[in-house]
Amino acid sequence: MSGEAPKAGRLFWVSAAVGWGVIAWGVVGIFSNSVDTRPANLARFVVGGALLHDLVVAPLAILVGVAVARTVPGRARAPVQAALAITAVVSLFAYPLVRGYGLAANNPTSLPYNYGRNLAIIVGLVWAVTAIVVIVKVKREA
Amino acid sequence: MTVRLPEPLKRLTTDADEPLGQGVYRSALRDERLAAILGASLGILFSICFLTGLYSHIQQNPLSWLPIPPRPAGLYRITQGIHVAAGIASVPVLIAKLWIVWPRFVSFPVAKRISGLVERVGLFPLVAGGIFMTFSGVANIAQWYPWQFSFTASHYWMAWVTMGSIVAHGGAKWATTRRALRRPSRRPALPEADPVLETTAEGDGPGLTRRGLLATVAGTSGILTLTTIGQTVSPLRRLGLLAPRDPTVGPQGRPVNRGAANAGVVELAQSADYRLEVTGRVARPMSLTLDQLRALPSHDAVLPIACVEGWSFSAPWSGVRIRDLLAMAGAEADRTILIESLEPRGAYRTSTLNPDQAADRDTLLATSLDGEALVLDHGFPCRLIAPNRPGVLQTKWVNRVVVL
Repeated sequence: MSGEAPKAGRLFWVSAAVGWGVIAWGVVGIFSNSVDTRPANLARFVVGGALLHDLVVAPLAILVGVAVARTVPGRARAPVQAALAITAVVSLFAYPLVRGYGLAANNPTSLPYNYGRNLAIIVGLVWAVTAIVVIVKVKREA
Repeated sequence: MTVRLPEPLKRLTTDADEPLGQGVYRSALRDERLAAILGASLGILFSICFLTGLYSHIQQNPLSWLPIPPRPAGLYRITQGIHVAAGIASVPVLIAKLWIVWPRFVSFPVAKRISGLVERVGLFPLVAGGIFMTFSGVANIAQWYPWQFSFTASHYWMAWVTMGSIVAHGGAKWATTRRALRRPSRRPALPEADPVLETTAEGDGPGLTRRGLLATVAGTSGILTLTTIGQTVSPLRRLGLLAPRDPTVGPQGRPVNRGAANAGVVELAQSADYRLEVTGRVARPMSLTLDQLRALPSHDAVLPIACVEGWSFSAPWSGVRIRDLLAMAGAEADRTILIESLEPRGAYRTSTLNPDQAADRDTLLATSLDGEALVLDHGFPCRLIAPNRPGVLQTKWVNRVVVL
């Protein structure tokens, strides 16, 4: 398939030039507004986020995927993979809500719910549906 | 490119010209077509976020040559609701896309030609920008600030970096994406569907299919959307398990972004010395007590408060029209108006109204909400409420109207 590698044409170089121009505009904006953007602090989050994903989160996800493929029996595998993915992503999104960081802002109207309980409800529903799907699959094949 | 890696390490790397799922990363899910579908979806979602974000930026940093019109009254509510919703929906798509293409991260040699190197270097701002934009946005709506930089300035400037990377990446991947999207989807053969299958005794259940992964991503986006959208679409309020706000929870049954205590105006706003001043380029400067302000002709308007953080509610307000106040003070038409708050400090202590906004029939200094006198947290003694405007510019605790 190596022969398939597309040759870089005009579109590649034009969009690269435009794209890098826009990137440069953003970088200049960051440094010329450094009182607000705090480039050193910002870089820690921008670079740190990418490194955290590429070096920790992604390899971990791959290892979990291998573990699931080896341990979960065939009929249950697809539903369990889906349920694990949904659980992980929804929990990641809900993390700052569950931790309640926004409550420190001393605003009675921010974060009005019990997010730990609500996350448990969503995750519980996801796994309940997963269990039903697995049971139905097993029964149908039996 | 003569660097040679030791064999165990080489097994973990990939070839940039080969398909996504190679060697130890072999999986039917690491598929060009799937990567193309998710990539195109992300491109669309991020572009929506970028455009609506740009609109929000211009709202808060007005351009003299592009004045924001006061109508349609609910426009900002819709664009900012979409901005936050599209950002939330993109989280699972981004994560899935990164999972599929991660083997490219360990491609070695780094590049085989100049264009490959340009493309590879561009992946850094793309991945870092995508992660930063979604992370900072999600943290901000939860009012979590683990950083020292200003969220608005950094989210704005990083949006250019991210969007530029998307343009460069889109151009680099255009042909590949088009080819992959045009190709009819195919059912994977069983051994291809799960290489691990060959080594286990299980004869059934090939694990998640490509369609299954797409359904999982769409389902996760759906769950996040349904459980948060109630903060702005109030009929879906009860589904808002993960919504950072409830449009019916707060003083007078309405949320606020910042209360009077946080703004440091509790005493100033309730002082008997309170006066509303109308000054600047006026023929007859005015200084009104609260009773005098309340005695002015009052006007009713149903207008939304639409927070930059994506929550909103619409409510009936009443108070004096800004244009009536300006006429009383003898101000010229076509002036920009500065609205000042009692707040001693803060980025949102003041806001401006362009001439069209100031002249709108529904631009009020409201003294009541839902037919009740305004409470402190909503801006007592009076607050600005105007159509098509971010909540942070609906200045509360107003004590000065300055004609510029």
